[in-house]
Amino acid sequence: MTEPEPSAHEHGELDLGGIDLGRVWTGVAAEVWRRHPGPAERMATRLLRSPGLARALLTTPSLMLPWLISTAVVFAVGGLITFTGGQSLVWLLGPGIAAVGISYAYGPGADPAWELSCSMPVSERMVLLVRAVSVFAVNAFLGLVVSGITYAGTSPGARAGAATVAITVAWLLPMTAVCALTLAVAVAVRSAAAGASAGVLAWMAMVFTSSSASGHLTAAVTDSSTYLAYLAVAACATAAVGYATRAQRGTYEY
Amino acid sequence: MNIELINVTRSFGRNRAVDGVSLEAGPGVLGLLGPNGAGKTSLLRMIGTVLPPSSGQIRLLDRDPRSAGPRREIRRRLGYLPQNLGYYPAFTVVEFVEYFALLKDMPPARVPRAVATAVERVDLGTRARARLRTLSGGMLRRVGIAQAIVNDPDLLLLDEPTAGLDPEQRVGFRALLRDLGRSATVVVSTHLVEDVGAACSEVALMDAGRVIFRGTPAELVARGEGHAVGDAPMERGYSAVLQAARRGGVAA
Repeated sequence: MTEPEPSAHEHGELDLGGIDLGRVWTGVAAEVWRRHPGPAERMATRLLRSPGLARALLTTPSLMLPWLISTAVVFAVGGLITFTGGQSLVWLLGPGIAAVGISYAYGPGADPAWELSCSMPVSERMVLLVRAVSVFAVNAFLGLVVSGITYAGTSPGARAGAATVAITVAWLLPMTAVCALTLAVAVAVRSAAAGASAGVLAWMAMVFTSSSASGHLTAAVTDSSTYLAYLAVAACATAAVGYATRAQRGTYEY
Repeated sequence: MNIELINVTRSFGRNRAVDGVSLEAGPGVLGLLGPNGAGKTSLLRMIGTVLPPSSGQIRLLDRDPRSAGPRREIRRRLGYLPQNLGYYPAFTVVEFVEYFALLKDMPPARVPRAVATAVERVDLGTRARARLRTLSGGMLRRVGIAQAIVNDPDLLLLDEPTAGLDPEQRVGFRALLRDLGRSATVVVSTHLVEDVGAACSEVALMDAGRVIFRGTPAELVARGEGHAVGDAPMERGYSAVLQAARRGGVAA
């Protein structure tokens, strides 16, 4: 049985005995239609200091096309990083490519309401940051679940499980942490650019520390067989940046 | 004045979409008329702080939108309906309007009543919980109008708001516009001259990026006296002003 939908059509303009029935009806409709935020949204509102950002965070997976594009890009980059054997330049380029993919999907590329978002007081770049956190966090969670299921399975399943574990542990979880740090700094200093700078520094520190320890940093620069791959990735990233930001050129800077 | 534009231009590559527009507007409904490619949408996007001007000065609600703080304050008091507003198909009407109410920094306690009021004002009460993917084009347009007015804006910008609305809905919408224009500055970009005649207190006619006429609908009608092109008086005025401007004749 469906809940009856309120309608003010027959009552909207009536005023009986000093009672504005239209106003009363709107109050009733407001209560009937009111959405009660769950604990996650209430906590996000407190942490992000903005109900709008909290709502954007929670609604990210429900925007199907941008979500699918972002997830595909994030897993593709994760695969690239994992299966190139931990080359430092690939590691360094990875977050940039993922960021471009998410910005494209939840930005002018595939977000149908992007132009409207650009006229909102909540900065569209802050919205993109919460989208990135949501994309990495949900995919990391899914990665852990899938890893657990497949790793315990048959032999081919175990191999797939190992790959999922590698992508989840080496890429999705660290990137979730970096994105969360980026967002935290951005919220604290109210600047998406400052947050992004903090995120880039954190990621570089993470990559260089692990590369130095394993000796990969030197190999990444001296191994000439990797140059073509780097150039191709850089060219693709440049093209993607150009495409993803084409409608943003000339927008107000934050 | 809620809108003050001084010699504003906007170029896209070599194409100058808006060419030295100066405009002031206070409370009331200003109709922005003009042929396709006249620069109406670019002008509206600049007033909506979506696009900065290439040159010239803009002041909105007595603030300069170039600085982040004032721009944020302007946006809190702004309602904007883009020409091509996309929708999130899985959202319901109420969820969509509420989402943008929250992005407009409205206090959460005020949001449910504001959403209900906006949804009722565009006559979508019976479809409030319908998913957007199930609505017709005209209904979606009304959802767009609802999100634009949900924060009771002091500056309301509507780009082709009546596109897709049936005649009865358009009549209702014109009444809504007149009501909103009592306290707010409403700018309506349209190519439907009858909307302007019925709802607007002032008209600005644009062509090739410039404002070539500014006056009341009655003044625009008067410009068309004796002009042969056009079926209705205002269409004749519209056509006469355009023709004169293109011949290099008198602008407003």
